[in-house]
Amino acid sequence: MLKESVVAELQKIVGKENVLTSPEALKAYSYDGTTSWVHEPDVVVFPTITQQVSDIMKLANAEKIPVTPRGGGTNVSGGSIPIMGGIVLCTTKMNKILKVDKENLTATVEPGVVLQDLTIRLMKEGLFFPPDPQSFLGATLGGIIAENAGGPACVKYGVTKQYILGVEVVLPNGDIIHLGGRTLKNVVGYDLLHIFISSEGTLGVITKAELKLNPIPPAKKTIMVVYDDVAKAGESVFRVLENGVIPGKIELMDNWVINRIEEMMPMGLPKDADALLLFETDGIPEAVEKETEKIVEIVKKYGAVDARVAKDQAEADKYWMGRKAGFAAVFGKAKTVFAEDVTVPRGQIPALINKCKELGKKYNIEVVVLGHAGDGNLHPAILTDINNKDHYDRAVKAMDEIIEGAVELGGVLSGEHGIGLEKQRFLKRQLEPVVIEMMKKVKALFDPNNIMNPGKIWE
Amino acid sequence: MKDLKELKKIEQYADQCMKCGFCSFFCPVYQEEKTETSVARGKNYLVKEILKGNQEFTKELGNIIGLCLLCKRCVAMCPAKTQIDRVVVGARAQMVNEKGLGAIKNFAFRKVMANRKAFGNYVKLAKSFQWLLPKTEGNIRHLPDFLKALGQGRNIPALADKFLREIVKPVYKPQNGEKPKMKVGYFMGCATDFMYPELGLKFIDFLTKRGIEVVVPESQSCCGAAMYFSGDFETGRLQAEKNIEAFKDVDYIVTACGTCSSTLKDYQKYLPETEDQKKRFEEFEKKVKDSMEFIVDIMKVKPEELTLKKEFEGKTATWHDPCHLVRYQNIKDQPRAILKGLKGLKYVEMPNADLCCGMGGSFSVYHYDITKKIAGKKMDGIKATGADIVVTACPGCMVNLTDNVLQNKMPQKVYHLLELVE
Repeated sequence: MLKESVVAELQKIVGKENVLTSPEALKAYSYDGTTSWVHEPDVVVFPTITQQVSDIMKLANAEKIPVTPRGGGTNVSGGSIPIMGGIVLCTTKMNKILKVDKENLTATVEPGVVLQDLTIRLMKEGLFFPPDPQSFLGATLGGIIAENAGGPACVKYGVTKQYILGVEVVLPNGDIIHLGGRTLKNVVGYDLLHIFISSEGTLGVITKAELKLNPIPPAKKTIMVVYDDVAKAGESVFRVLENGVIPGKIELMDNWVINRIEEMMPMGLPKDADALLLFETDGIPEAVEKETEKIVEIVKKYGAVDARVAKDQAEADKYWMGRKAGFAAVFGKAKTVFAEDVTVPRGQIPALINKCKELGKKYNIEVVVLGHAGDGNLHPAILTDINNKDHYDRAVKAMDEIIEGAVELGGVLSGEHGIGLEKQRFLKRQLEPVVIEMMKKVKALFDPNNIMNPGKIWE
Repeated sequence: MKDLKELKKIEQYADQCMKCGFCSFFCPVYQEEKTETSVARGKNYLVKEILKGNQEFTKELGNIIGLCLLCKRCVAMCPAKTQIDRVVVGARAQMVNEKGLGAIKNFAFRKVMANRKAFGNYVKLAKSFQWLLPKTEGNIRHLPDFLKALGQGRNIPALADKFLREIVKPVYKPQNGEKPKMKVGYFMGCATDFMYPELGLKFIDFLTKRGIEVVVPESQSCCGAAMYFSGDFETGRLQAEKNIEAFKDVDYIVTACGTCSSTLKDYQKYLPETEDQKKRFEEFEKKVKDSMEFIVDIMKVKPEELTLKKEFEGKTATWHDPCHLVRYQNIKDQPRAILKGLKGLKYVEMPNADLCCGMGGSFSVYHYDITKKIAGKKMDGIKATGADIVVTACPGCMVNLTDNVLQNKMPQKVYHLLELVE
């Protein structure tokens, strides 16, 4: 429990209306998008300016109170759950888009800006911010940066860290610092900016960010490709790339997912297909035309049953809507879902898919596969029920082996969700002990009192 | 263990939520408040906590489940198809079961609104005092500061000199004197009755001109929206029974109020206690039609054959989707077809046409500050169209839109679609 004087101090800093302490409100800040982690904070504060964040951190540091930064609370790693209690520092009221600079293709934003709000604003200027985590309707930029989020567009455009030029950060002791800048190139000393990107809120609070933008490509096309073998779909991914085409997106759905989407919103997907790949090409119209032809040619050469080019945007939107619904289709079908985000080098996608299918059979559980095949980032999902012990145990074993398998194939245990609480116990399998020790020292350097989102990343 | 009867009924809906948080983007209240307790995900989580026995119906919980417009925007977009409206209403009903209604609602719902005569008399009493309220413009009156409970500085339409119930006849035969094509019962609704009686007469005229017999049963009562959306299922059920009895001998029950039509249709969803009741409520639902769908889908009136009233010649109109039409009844194409087809009228779609106006019935009484902010966004959409008139088909929305158009000193006037045509 927090001392009353601390709550009073917080109220002084941000105003009474921006401090929540009722038991009901605390419950509402005990969760994120995961299914298995819950912990209540002692207080929730909503700063509106950087100085308030600094004052909150000074107070917390002096009193040694844990602080968990949180934006939209949409992450699926347990990262924004206040697992040690203390303060939830919620950035949703710092949600201004401060500047869109067309000349330099940059935007300056506060951490609580929701990605979709930014997208809508940028669209007016003919610009876009490429990282597209599928939680874009709720995810805030602070969290997107702290988790180094990805999404379908990463095959061509890369992940969040390639689009952050600089950040303003409040350190656990309350110091306000600026890392990076506003330029594309920057080699002034150690690249501390990139330590903050994917720090999962454990080093400080991002209070402002300078984003790199792209012009919206004038044309795009969608191709739906049908396979009778999911592993062949995996192969198509790297065949297309090695033949010189880098599509904007390559997304995979397996038979189970296709059928659930068809149940939810019938759109004429081939229900007997073992897998589907959705390709999107984007760029200038002539290039899009050529690339689309090329993709159709290559996938057919490498075993696709059918390749359908969407005749118009409406048909394309339909397919992408289906892909987006894939996530809901999975989560709606089981009490507990492990949604993995293992990532392997692209050439290993067929091997990883086969591994998932084998494990499903071995443990007699449903393992379904969808994901951003284009960058080797798959979302194998295991459907189980935490209340059915026997089933749940088998699911846990299967998940362990999928992660192990991905690492053996030269991949990583998390491509875009982060470690948070969900994957802590696997960290040792990926990182050498010395590396983990170094990370802990980095953490101690920024946060000697261990108040910043404690209990995350390592056990 | 407590009897969580009403909550048990909605447990299956609450279980649907996978906590993705997408609702936050669509929730007009969250967009203003930015707190987890204001959005569907938070409310749903707390309801599940009650079901697990980890949470009581505290005053604060009452506030939290009260802070929902029931606009269903999040429901429409939810990837997991969580029906949070049913969860919220179910939780309110459970709370009423456990804690009672509270003195004000108890009096308003059970002693006044549930009894048609009493309701009329109380409004009449209020009317005799309305000269105290300063006039803003035309017959709009301005709620002064001392009536804070109803919202500071709010403009509300004056109560009519004569209520619809006082001027309406029980039966209207088709104007051409021929045998009626069908017989419909007209459900007036309180806003039309007390504030817009001419709208009711207009609708009756529209129908009888086209060969339809209209009956207006005197025994009809309040639709029950205010009651059962607040969780007072008992009074809601009473209203349902009264209205079903009042309208038993007609082909259809029609109304020009979006809230009323959706409320009458939803009796079956919330209120039945027995199988027999459920069956009767479902039968009733099939016969209820909102004016917009009745005109386009049942009467099959062709928009281009309608005559625009002279005063609207050359004007530009935009349409506001009432929540109770667009999301509760999927009525959105019908009014647009009429507006686009009307000769002499120019139609422009407003951005965010389906955004709630912020009224939410009694929501606006308790949270007028939030209502105003949400309405502000609606006003931005209206301004962007450059339209001369804002058209809708729900008197509840009309009240709130009119208030906010005036507060924002905008030139637009607000109309019910029926007021535009001859």
